[in-house]
Amino acid sequence: MKVGIAGAGLLGRLLGWQLQRRGHQVTLFDAGDELATDSAAYVAAAMLAPYSEAVTSGAELFGVGKQAVSQWRELLQQLSESSAHAVTLNDSGSVVIAHELDRANLQHFSQKLRAAVGDDSSIKTLDRAGIAELESELPIRFSQGLWLAGEGCLDNRALLRALHDVLQAGGAELRWHCPVSRVEAGKLNTPAGTESFDWAIDCRGLGAKTDWPEVRGVRGEILWVRAPEVQLGRPVRLMHPRYHLYITPKPGDIYVVGATEIESESQAPVTVRSQLELLSALYSVHSGFAEAQIVGSYARCRPSLPDNLPQVQVSDGLLRLNGLYRHGYLLAPTVVESAINALDGDVTGTFVQNALTVTS
Amino acid sequence: MTDTWTLYGQTFSNRLLIGSALYPSPQVMSEAIEASGSEIITVGLRRQSPEEAGGQSLWTHIQKLNKTLLPNTAGCHSVKEAVTLAQMSREMFETDWIKLEVVGDDYNLQPDPIGTIEAAEKLINLGFKVFPYCTDDLVICQRLRDVGCEVLMPWGSPIGTGRGLMNPYNLQTIRERLPDIPLIVDAGIGKPSHAVMALELGYDGILLNTAVAQATDPVRMAKAFRDAIAAGRQGYLAGAMPERQTASPSTPTLGMPFWHQQ
Repeated sequence: MKVGIAGAGLLGRLLGWQLQRRGHQVTLFDAGDELATDSAAYVAAAMLAPYSEAVTSGAELFGVGKQAVSQWRELLQQLSESSAHAVTLNDSGSVVIAHELDRANLQHFSQKLRAAVGDDSSIKTLDRAGIAELESELPIRFSQGLWLAGEGCLDNRALLRALHDVLQAGGAELRWHCPVSRVEAGKLNTPAGTESFDWAIDCRGLGAKTDWPEVRGVRGEILWVRAPEVQLGRPVRLMHPRYHLYITPKPGDIYVVGATEIESESQAPVTVRSQLELLSALYSVHSGFAEAQIVGSYARCRPSLPDNLPQVQVSDGLLRLNGLYRHGYLLAPTVVESAINALDGDVTGTFVQNALTVTS
Repeated sequence: MTDTWTLYGQTFSNRLLIGSALYPSPQVMSEAIEASGSEIITVGLRRQSPEEAGGQSLWTHIQKLNKTLLPNTAGCHSVKEAVTLAQMSREMFETDWIKLEVVGDDYNLQPDPIGTIEAAEKLINLGFKVFPYCTDDLVICQRLRDVGCEVLMPWGSPIGTGRGLMNPYNLQTIRERLPDIPLIVDAGIGKPSHAVMALELGYDGILLNTAVAQATDPVRMAKAFRDAIAAGRQGYLAGAMPERQTASPSTPTLGMPFWHQQ
């Protein structure tokens, strides 16, 4: 089948690649470039954190998200078989800590975690010695924490590049700097005109708002720093009265610290206040960050729906995928699987809204 | 007889003012606000790039609820910032109501009493109807009334702490000395029982956000607060019996001389 995908962020690329593997003829359109520099996927920490995210998003998200680490393991295996790329997957869990003054936040986190997840052997309470054993560089003032063994993170920039290369090598048509203004059944509208496909698929995220008014953006600000003096082996989540702050290690001594969460669609650069909060949190976790270099500071909007969960809308010749909110890497494998099944006529997948007559 | 109250000339029957931040999702926010029975919603726009209407999508959800909106100046640290944001809010939400919040201490977000009085006076001169968030200090409350505030909102305890009424004596003093002005306990409410206590003290209403938004089940907690506020108000109106030093049996204990039964 001939498939046209609008939007080549994480979702568009992953879906495009999986469709290509199944023998479909894929064309991808994106307003941005081949590295997806403008996408939320490019700047994200790419954590696979079903436990931590269940604290806010509840049991439904957990049920799906807990498979994410094994889903990605399999996807990255496929990717390494069909290209020269090895994308790092860190599956050593994550550590949750709090400063003494914010201890109540850790307690509250723990209480909501257990309410959403129940008793789970992946959740381990840490004392000072336990924290030191996992992350020897964390200062001893952190005396309480959690180890969420079922979490992980992946090297997202390497992944986005690998997906690009494998799509290109497999013969997909890739149209960069080509914004799609409208997606209809079997049709994509671009500045160059309307193109027809057997299936038109909308993966534009916030860009889909004109066709799906319920989509909103939730602004997130995030920093990438290079800190050779710091050796953290896994994502560290710091309880903060206002945000879920995390520090996620990437290859090459890079750490990603994020993220603010503001109900705004402003794409303006990171504000001073947000930068101050993120950096002071970073420094408070490890003094080795003092001389780190800030290699990137980004503000992006997470595409979200009113319940902050994804949806796959299916109708004849048209699929719309959206609403991954702060869970892009966590939920993308499931959303993509649901979408592929829907193309094959099975509309029972997770997050699927089967509407034979979709109103837009 | 319906039990209503009046804020700047508008009459309400529900006594809960509820915030619109920190919910797990807009959908949960809408459900929780409906469940709370609240008729007044506070909205903040300090961090949402109001100059480019960055928060429009969330405001659409809030406007759909069709409640009275009380914009706030949360996050403002100076009189000037608060006045500017109030003017922006008035334009955006088409209301001259403003919850005035001037932060004095960044960690616990304690209000700056001096800045609050100064900003209140300026805003009232600009035609605003000011709902000042202040500490539980009688003299500060009197000054705010003197500059023209027709409602006062002392804290129960610092924002987001959920510690309830830290100083019931101060709150009671304010109620007794300022019997005619609507009083709302703003901030620090964590549990429904805290709300009951405030209403029993004769406070007219409660303003809260975190207690509902960050509960494990926000919608259920919203209902709990709706019921608690109703219970506290009924308790106040019904006139509670005074506390006594010794337990007194309500029926005479058989076989004991009556002078021993007190």
